Amino acid sequence: MSVALIRVVIVAVALGAWEVFGRLGNPLLYVPPSAALPALGRLLTLQSYPELGEHLLLTLREIAVAYALAIAAGIGVGAALGLNRVVGRTYGPILAALYAVPAVVWYPSLMLFFGLDAASKIAFGFLLGFFPIALAVLAGIRQVNAQLVIVARAFGASGITVFRKVMLPAMLFTLVGGLRTGLALTVIGVIVGEVLGAKAGMGSLINHAYGLFRTADYVALVVVTLLLIVASDAVAGVVEQRARRWTE
Amino acid sequence: MSDLIVVDGVDKRYATSSGPVDALRGVSLGVGAGEFCTLIGPSGCGKSTLLGMLGGLVTPDAGRVLVDGRPVNGPDPRRAATVFQEAGLFPWRTTVENIEFGLELQGVARERRRIVATELLGPLGLRDFAGKYPRELSGGMRQRVAIGRALAIDTPIVLMDEPFGALDEQTRLLMGEWLLDIWRRTRKTVVFVTHSLQEALALSTRVIVMTARPGRIKSVVELPLPYPRAMESAELVALRAKLWSEIREESLRAMGEV
Amino acid sequence: MDRVTPPPARSGQLRSEAVSRIRLLQLGSVALLLGSWEAVARLGWVDPLFVPAPSAVASAFFRVGALAMAGLGDTLAKTAVAYVISVVLGVGGGLVLGSIRPVRQAVNPFVIALYGMPKILVLPWIVLLLGFGTLPAVVYGAIHGVFPILVLVTGAVRDVDHTLLMVGRAFGARRRQLYWKVVLPAIVPTVLTGMRLGIVFCLLGVLIVEMFAGVRGMGHVLGSLANGFQAPELFAATALVSTASIVIVLSLDALNDRLSHWRGDTR
Repeated sequence: MSVALIRVVIVAVALGAWEVFGRLGNPLLYVPPSAALPALGRLLTLQSYPELGEHLLLTLREIAVAYALAIAAGIGVGAALGLNRVVGRTYGPILAALYAVPAVVWYPSLMLFFGLDAASKIAFGFLLGFFPIALAVLAGIRQVNAQLVIVARAFGASGITVFRKVMLPAMLFTLVGGLRTGLALTVIGVIVGEVLGAKAGMGSLINHAYGLFRTADYVALVVVTLLLIVASDAVAGVVEQRARRWTE
Repeated sequence: MSDLIVVDGVDKRYATSSGPVDALRGVSLGVGAGEFCTLIGPSGCGKSTLLGMLGGLVTPDAGRVLVDGRPVNGPDPRRAATVFQEAGLFPWRTTVENIEFGLELQGVARERRRIVATELLGPLGLRDFAGKYPRELSGGMRQRVAIGRALAIDTPIVLMDEPFGALDEQTRLLMGEWLLDIWRRTRKTVVFVTHSLQEALALSTRVIVMTARPGRIKSVVELPLPYPRAMESAELVALRAKLWSEIREESLRAMGEV
Repeated sequence: MDRVTPPPARSGQLRSEAVSRIRLLQLGSVALLLGSWEAVARLGWVDPLFVPAPSAVASAFFRVGALAMAGLGDTLAKTAVAYVISVVLGVGGGLVLGSIRPVRQAVNPFVIALYGMPKILVLPWIVLLLGFGTLPAVVYGAIHGVFPILVLVTGAVRDVDHTLLMVGRAFGARRRQLYWKVVLPAIVPTVLTGMRLGIVFCLLGVLIVEMFAGVRGMGHVLGSLANGFQAPELFAATALVSTASIVIVLSLDALNDRLSHWRGDTR
């Protein structure tokens, strides 16, 4: 039996079990695929949540802003730590220690400061995405062949030029990996933020449906959000592939 | 006197991505007790496979392998111990703990195994390294630990698959001398796989030359010569020339295949 | 070796000098940060409702200390239970998936997909199912923590050096002995790394549930303090749980180092 066939069987069995148990269980809690699909249809045709588009756009905007900030700060901090040995040895451990703290710990403080609006979600998403990017930049710089830098300096290149023309290409692979992880985490951060307390955005819709026991709509919303996440990671994956071909 | 090890018409075929490959075809040989028997031949001639069969790690597709009159159908640590080209020491065990490994598997009591392993440290030249970990040992030392591990279970047969292959030449020569000393003291039956003609001539009582793939026995040469071997003696020079011409022929054949 | 390097004693001294210089810089930076923060707060450049001065946070420690410690204890208890479940399932599952190739090949994509899926999406459903309080927190924490461990252990078991396995077989190890004496010791470093990741993930999961649907625990405490706009208390409690988390992770790292000393300097 081929592996692909086994996987298909697994999926089929899982869907089948979901259907069977879904029908047997309390409809407020268990929604079989046969009920979830129509709910998905109602969602996509804007019947259950007419403002779906606005919420989706808001979430996407929050992700975009948070990610842009994470990239800027991540590269900046990572470069500062990586390029200067003293700075790196001093603040690197502090960065690593902060990374050991589960990010959600900061969220109530962010909510207090920024309120329930988009700003706190952007801040949280930024916080989650920042660390992997900064750490990837740091690791990337550390692994750059010191010889290349020496040669560039011998030709009279300044610090910034060395960074741009020598280090960045050499560490592109590590960097892109960090960027991809950063995006995934930013997306999660924004959505977690919305679920934990927001007035708008996909997460808040999920919360809303859950709160009103509209479980079928909840499932539909989860599916749509999942697609959003998968799509964003797929795009990131394609970019990573391109970058990989570039560095080879 | 019948042989301790008997190989009777074994075949071995492997399935590879480019089709089935015959590693061994119709190989028969015998090894008497107390011999130091070397298998030599070009790359890919199946000597490691053959050794694996003696150790019960490889099953023949046809034919059989007998040790002490009984068929081999799996590794038997009471009959044969194996030393591999990569020492294969467990990195989380100290020297002594690595040497005891076989005894531990056999359920020997802790104090007893410690004694056996520690007693071996002297002959192994590792007395100062009892508590060291493999990463702290040189390549030659690691192989000595691996050999010590094989000796600890005190089997009548010791199988060695190019044990000195990864070492530099000086170390190889010294290890060879050392191994000879151990063998002469313990009187075990050793089957030794090597690429090195020098090793074969310096160490063995008998050399078996194998053909290129599919491996068969090309020739068997007895070396009833005293130890230590005088490598410049007329006899050995002649033997070397003879063996080399045979090996060369097979090596060329093996290379032509590629 | 390079003849120019100084003899060991002096280079050791140089190293510890460098280390203490770094410590000094670190402490100095933190002091500078706290100092300027205090100054900014006192000058009234920020609203004390949102950004309290460090001195206010410090005194808040005493007011909120008992509540925060109780909450922290509750959270850590749930995390511990979730963690045990994660480790057992993760290591056990990893052993199975890592050893049995057909099962691994069939199931692996699903494991990876579930690992990458943001678990937050199923959190409302878990709360619907299990209600508020301890049970959903433990379950969700376990779900969060099991995946990194499972994935890491699967990889480690699959990648055990074949020579070592062959040695085991050659010396007559039976299947059970192969696992106990070769596979398990070989995967210890990876298991430890997984366990270190796992605790952070478990704690994260428990905190999220406590914030979403909790009646006790640090997450709930933080949430309530935020809702009540009690900024100094919130910052104090946040600092407390952050410190606890850092201590736990650093301890696990130290444990990791001690148990892996046979590997040398590489971690």
